[in-house]
This record gives sequence, C-alpha cells and structure tokens, in this order.
Amino acid sequence: MVSLIEPHFWDNIKRQIDGDFGEGVTQQLLGDRAPVVIDRGKKQSVYFIPMDWVQLVDSSFGGFRLRYLGTWLGEMSGDTFMLSIGVLAQLEPLTDSKIVVYRRGAEAFTYGRSIIKESVLSLPDHLRRGQRVLVIDENGSCIGLAALAVDAALLNRLGAEKLVAKNLVDIGWYLRRYG
Amino acid sequence: MKTKDRKDKAKELAERYGYLHYMTERYLALWGERETIEFLEACEKPPRTSIRVNTLKTKKDLLMKALKKKDVILEDIPWLEDGFYADFQGFSPGSLTEYMLGQYYVQGVPSMAVVKALNPQPEETVFDLAAAPGGKTTHIAQLMDNSGRIIAIEQDRERIRGLESNILRCGVENSIVLRGDARKLEELDIEPDRVLLDAPCSGEGLLAIDPERKTSKSMADIRFCATVEDQLLDAAVRALRPGGVILYSTCSIAPEEGEYIVDGMLQKHPDLKIVEIEPDMGVPAFTAPYGVQMDESLKMARRMLPHLHGTEGFFICKMRKE
Repeated sequence: MVSLIEPHFWDNIKRQIDGDFGEGVTQQLLGDRAPVVIDRGKKQSVYFIPMDWVQLVDSSFGGFRLRYLGTWLGEMSGDTFMLSIGVLAQLEPLTDSKIVVYRRGAEAFTYGRSIIKESVLSLPDHLRRGQRVLVIDENGSCIGLAALAVDAALLNRLGAEKLVAKNLVDIGWYLRRYG
Repeated sequence: MKTKDRKDKAKELAERYGYLHYMTERYLALWGERETIEFLEACEKPPRTSIRVNTLKTKKDLLMKALKKKDVILEDIPWLEDGFYADFQGFSPGSLTEYMLGQYYVQGVPSMAVVKALNPQPEETVFDLAAAPGGKTTHIAQLMDNSGRIIAIEQDRERIRGLESNILRCGVENSIVLRGDARKLEELDIEPDRVLLDAPCSGEGLLAIDPERKTSKSMADIRFCATVEDQLLDAAVRALRPGGVILYSTCSIAPEEGEYIVDGMLQKHPDLKIVEIEPDMGVPAFTAPYGVQMDESLKMARRMLPHLHGTEGFFICKMRKE
C-alpha cells in the first residue's frame, strides 16, 4: 500500500540529498509533486506523484499489488537513502556536485568500475570526501552516481591510477539487472 | 486442394522446413500452397532490427546523429515517425550508451504499430494489460507526453522487474504498475479511456525470431492461450468506459487467437464495434478463416506477416465501446 510520507522521514531524505547536492535541491526536484512511500519491509521506496494522484494514497487496488508509481526517487535502507538511477538526470541541472569523466573512464564506469584520477576531466574544488556526486560523460549525459574517495582539492596530488570516486550506481545497471 | 493432397503436401513442407505437421496443414488451409511456401521461406530469416526514438529522453535528430557517429545505419519506417530500421553492424543494440540512457527502445515494427493505432492522448487514463517488458507502456507514455496515467498490469513477478527497469530507463513518470491477474480488472473500479491488450499468446508469429517455436507448441497450447485471451479481452471490455477504445493484439498468426476471439467478443458485447486502424497497415484480417463465417467488420482488423511485411506475424484489432 502507498502512503503519504511522514514529515520526519521526508526531512531525513531532504537532509541527505541536500547535504550532497546543495541546500534546497530536494524541494526543487520535488516541484509540484507529492512524495509518497511504499513500505517493502526492510526498505522503503519513495516516489514522486502528481498532486492529482494523491487520492490513490491508501487505495487497496483490489487484488492487485502496487509495485511502482510516478517517479521513483529512491530507497531508504536503514538510515541511508539511495537515489534511484532514474532520477539522476532530473537532478543534474540543479546541482554542481558532478564529476566529469573522459570517454574511456565513462565506458569503464558503465561496466560498474569506479573512477580513477586519469579518467577525471573536471571536479569542482569544494567537493569533499564521502560526498555523493553525479557522474557526467564528455557529452554531458549523466551516467550514474559515485561517492568521492578524496577531497576534490587534493585531486592534483594523486597518481594517475588512484581512486577518486567509488561507483554507487551506473546506467549499466539496466542491463545487469534485466539482461 | 483435396484433403488428402493437402495432408501430403503439409507433411512434405513440415519435413522440409522443420515444423510440426499440424502447423503446415493449417497454413495450407489458410493460404494455399504458394503463399504458405512464401511464409515458410520468410520465417527462415529474422526480421530487421528496429528501434523507436524515445522522445521523452532525446530528440530524433540528436539520436540519429549520435548513432550515425557509431556507424549504426538507420532507415526510416515510413508510417512510424519515431521508428527506424537499424543495422548495428554486429554490435548488440542494447550495448550502446544511448540505449542505457533510454534514448531508444529496441522494438519490432508491429509492436510500435499497435501503440500508434491505439492513439493514446495526453491526460487520458490508459490500461496496458500484460504490460511487461514495457515496450508498449513506454511508447504510450511517450505519446501522452508523460501526462495522464497508464495503469500497467503484469502478473509475472520476474517479468515485472523488466517492466520497472524499462519504465525507469525511458523516463516514464505517468505509470502505475500493478501486479496481478488482469482478468480481475473489475476489482480496480477504474474506467479507462483506452485499453491496450497485447495478449500473452502462443507466439506463432515469432517463428522467424524463435525457430524452436516450429515444434514447441501443440493445438492444445493454442486453445489454452485462446481461452485466456478471451477472458482477458472480456475483462478489458467490461472495464472500458462507454465511448472508450480498446486495442487487441497478439503476436500470433493463429485465427483462434485473433479473429475467433474478436468475433466471440462482438457477439458477447453488442455495444462493441470494430473501427478502422490508422495509419493503415498490414492486410485485412480473415472474415471466414477455415470456412467459418465471422463478422464482416473483421476486415477492418489487420494482420502483419513475415512474407508480406518483413515483420513478425501479428494480429491487430481496434474496437470502440458504444
């Protein structure tokens, strides 16, 4: 069953997304939609739905089981919120928390590999170790999400093969998940 | 052709092309010898790969430019504005970054044609029954410009993962995915404007793609599929709002899964009428398959066939509930 999101739960999500991508970004991403949640036991899936779908909340759908609706924002597991691969492209124009990678690095990333120094085309100096960043290829397409393994300001001190960002999710997931 | 001659010929063709005997005998009864051989020959080679540009994610000209840069050869499909025949020159069509970014969907021509014929409009409520893996769901979303709502129903737990994955990849934001038996649609208490039922079928139209199908299904399998198709279509017609449109299709060439189902439904629901399909495609469906007289309006339904259209075999019928 889908339900409206509890304020403290939503605050936790906002804190995590805004912490990585900038203050107010979650609210901009939400726009004029409503956040809802489907409880899946150990995980809670969060979706954005148009306001005129809100009457669906608490619907039983007869003998049917609700699996997915609207835009999948991501999933809370324990106390960590993981953004869905599908929402990253919507996030891209709202943030500068991005790492741009060369073609070969982008290819390796879509195979599930992490990002090493020689693959990095640009990374804003202010980004910090542990922070999540969007991964952008040379054409400007968002190809996934990574966690920085170093402070961006230290990038130039690293050797060519040193790890810069750990792959969290990439667009190759679509193939790996479904074949 | 006399019955004895037809049986002998059917046996000879079944042996030559590797089919079960009952299949070639049915083809001879439907089409005669010359066309049957054309059909069997056409099924020896797979149809051309085709793709649909996903305009929710990119523009047609941008994708064309990107794919041409990667040596993909594209050719327009004249009556499908977002469709192309695509020669990936040995690469897997799903291996390119543009695919993973959701900029195109690898989809057969009849599958694109079905959604085009359904003609979903922005802000409508559309049911997509037996929706996995989502090629038609994502196409419907594209034509509705991500507005309104698509209730996508699928029963199979594994296949639903593929459906969700494609919805996500293609940037669909107006779908509600439900798992369950679409024969129980009345439990939903929603009257859709349009219904797409691309019914689970015996797959007899996919012989060129799946040669194992030449020997894997019996007449009993076709009858079983026909029973389920009848129940699904009946549930869909009951759910549809008055004035609403239903598109019934199968990737089967068996009249038992096409014309027979629709003819039965027209008798059961006098308020249901077959309407013309636009754009015009394929050839008219049978009105008297195997000599069984059916509703004459079935000539407005369409069949797509490997030997005539270079596609999978498909049956498409559009109906309106008055």
